[in-house]
Amino acid sequence: MNELPHGELHLALEAELERTLAPPELPSHFRAKLQAALVRAGDSSLSEARSRLERERREWLSEIDQKYLRLQRRTLGTMIGGAFAAGASAALVLPWVTAHLGSIAPLVIACTGAAVGVWIGVASWWRSRAEFDSRAQP
Amino acid sequence: MQSAVHDAVTRDSDIAELLRAGHRDRAFDVLLQRYEGKIYRLCCAMLRNRIQAEDAAQESFVRIWKALDRYDGRASFSSWMYAITRNRCLTALERRRSDSLNEGASETDVAMLAAPDDAFSTDRSEQLRELVELLPERLRRVLLLYYFQERSTSEVALMLGCPEGTVKTQLFRARAALVEHLKRRGLDDPGIWLENAP
Repeated sequence: MNELPHGELHLALEAELERTLAPPELPSHFRAKLQAALVRAGDSSLSEARSRLERERREWLSEIDQKYLRLQRRTLGTMIGGAFAAGASAALVLPWVTAHLGSIAPLVIACTGAAVGVWIGVASWWRSRAEFDSRAQP
Repeated sequence: MQSAVHDAVTRDSDIAELLRAGHRDRAFDVLLQRYEGKIYRLCCAMLRNRIQAEDAAQESFVRIWKALDRYDGRASFSSWMYAITRNRCLTALERRRSDSLNEGASETDVAMLAAPDDAFSTDRSEQLRELVELLPERLRRVLLLYYFQERSTSEVALMLGCPEGTVKTQLFRARAALVEHLKRRGLDDPGIWLENAP
């Protein structure tokens, strides 16, 4: 099947095909036009890269904003919860402390509550800040 | 086709080496020098329109340039570049088809084939060109590339991404179809063509 047919006609046809179907010459301006096209492609690649980086930066900033909001809400929630818990605890232990310490009992409870509150607040703030800084690293 | 692919890999090992060493520009220069003619001829055979072939060849090279960093070495350089070029040409053909459906015009440029040098040759060559145009697309493409590529069936197989045996079979069929057309037109006397020979 793949054997090429022979004979005078085929030989003559082969010669004529070779003459008629000569390879087309590459246009003389091909290289110059290609160089220009490559420069244009390079420009568009740069502009594509710039818009991609800008988009990524916007997404990153928006993510940081969201994390910051979540952090604020969590901190506020912790503080309110802590204040209620402290108030309830104080109300519960006040009779027992009054029985032991007398009239300075409210002052002692208030000072203890304030110290514990400040300690929790500072520790929480410190930990949140460290966590936020580590996540905000690009 | 396996040996053709192996030859192509060996032939392009210097380009792969340059890429590995990070000399992207130099690698592109070498492949441009080596393949610009072949890529252009592949576009000519597929599109049969010089202007569109030039555009397609340039766009293929721009794509090759952009994708050079992503070349993974699984296929030979030539197979990879020919695949990019074929896809580009198929897109151009698709666009042309939809344009001609809209405008009712064909944009093939039969005269892109070699121009004969005397009146007698003009007549015979013109007839032969017309007969080549009558061939089915796949046979005509193989036939054109075969003569464009100095009658190398292995290179044509690489360019079209098919086995060498398929190229040989399609060449056989193309010639048989041409002879059939010649007979129908009463041009099957070898003397006519031998007279025409230079």
